[in-house]
Amino acid sequence: MKTKLIKLSAIALTTALVVSCGSDNDSDSGNSTQAEYAVTITNLTYAQPFSPASIVAHQPGYQPFVAGEAASVALEQLAEGGSATQLLDEARAANEFLDAQEGAGVAPRSIGTVTTLTVPSSEVENLKLSALTMLIDTNDAFTGLNAMDISNMAVGQQKVFMTVSWDSGTEANTETADSMPGPAAQAAGGGGASAGFSAVRDDTADIVHIHRGVVTNANAADPSMEGLTTSILDEGARWDNPTAKILVERIR
Amino acid sequence: MKLNKLALATAAIVGMTASGISQAVQLQVSITNLTHANYMTPRLVIAHDETVDAFEVGTTATTALAWLAEAGVIDDAQDAASAGQNFEALLGPAVTDNGSNTWQRFGGLLAASATVSYPFDTMGKPKLSLLTMLIPTNDAFAGLDSITIPTEPGTYHYFLNAYDAGTELNDELNSTRTDIVEEGGGPLGAYGAPGVAGAGAPPLSPNMGTGGTGVAVTVGLAEDGSALAGANEVVDGTDGPVHIHRNTLGDTSRTAGKSDLDSTLHRWLNPVARVTIVVPAP
Repeated sequence: MKTKLIKLSAIALTTALVVSCGSDNDSDSGNSTQAEYAVTITNLTYAQPFSPASIVAHQPGYQPFVAGEAASVALEQLAEGGSATQLLDEARAANEFLDAQEGAGVAPRSIGTVTTLTVPSSEVENLKLSALTMLIDTNDAFTGLNAMDISNMAVGQQKVFMTVSWDSGTEANTETADSMPGPAAQAAGGGGASAGFSAVRDDTADIVHIHRGVVTNANAADPSMEGLTTSILDEGARWDNPTAKILVERIR
Repeated sequence: MKLNKLALATAAIVGMTASGISQAVQLQVSITNLTHANYMTPRLVIAHDETVDAFEVGTTATTALAWLAEAGVIDDAQDAASAGQNFEALLGPAVTDNGSNTWQRFGGLLAASATVSYPFDTMGKPKLSLLTMLIPTNDAFAGLDSITIPTEPGTYHYFLNAYDAGTELNDELNSTRTDIVEEGGGPLGAYGAPGVAGAGAPPLSPNMGTGGTGVAVTVGLAEDGSALAGANEVVDGTDGPVHIHRNTLGDTSRTAGKSDLDSTLHRWLNPVARVTIVVPAP
């Protein structure tokens, strides 16, 4: 049983806990046809900024990605370039769509701003949340929620999800200035949109999988040669899972 | 720690019997060190209400947390210099109902793969937190973050992540070294000074290197890269707020490289500890 538990923690993308059930709010001030959820993303990494997130409330059926399968072009846009636009468009076009917002980017080691989603109260019992954001000092790493259950939350109730980082599998992890959109690449003479999305799929396997972390150029001159000489990332760009804490509270 | 909430949800319920709202519950709390070669300093176990928060990701660490994460110190008895700044000052006396909390220090270094178990009286408080420093590190700690104490009798497992308190740069320099000093001339090690804690302790010292030039900051240089007054000085900076630790870097040289830690020994991946709580039948 213990082994099984360890496996579950390791494999599950996220796990949740009901933090508080202090539903002391009385009636929904007359407007009970809408339910409202506040989503807050905390960046748990030392130095990886998060791109503006694609935050989507939906019914079961829609999924922004499937582990072990190829990423959609929309996910590739987010994972390589940090753009949530296409992923949000894709979600809005889905039959299961309820509401979506683009969250603000979140700096490393900080608590992000609150994003609010509104859905019809009739949808509460089947409600899912997907919220994805790129670690922008990487080739194609992202973290977040993939159609996680947030159904039947009471007003005032909170759920906390700790999320791991994924590799979209759409770009080789070269860690070079011309292939990453974030500030580390910018400082090395690259970065920005031109270093973000590329339609070419040149990773070793075109499947979404758990990210193995960045190698960085630390220890490149060490006798072990552990570092990646051609990487423009330094040791501060490394992370361990979980990389994000996502707090969801039903506020109405 | 919250990685493990699934474990909570799927925890093996042993010996389910009629439950009741319990007051002074005597829990059995055990912890297993899941790292390869890191030791864990004496454990701080706190039962508390909603007003107590020993640590919070994205939030700057208290001085009490800095003492625990940099030096493994929880109370005055461990280090008189921490008086007024440590968790004892923050929470009140140990093994006492302090209203908002009750806490205990469970002593001894916990070696990798080892497990220890303690009886712990919650005095009716609803939440539980557990903190322990990982050594040798600058300011890494394993944390159980305000879990709700189960009321159903049973056995519950939680997996803990390693956090970086953010109160000291991860220079990974051996604090027993005398060839380098803190900026201004003070010795390395422990609270408020650069260098990894515990480097001189017998279980750690055989595997500690020397001669490293510094990981997150370089010997002789300020954080902005400008030269310090002395080429052998190490700056004492911070890297907060509290966040998930990016793991130590280490290297494979005992006498050179950036780090005095060993990359083949001193790295870890989360989770770094398992805590098991047994809630007894009333």
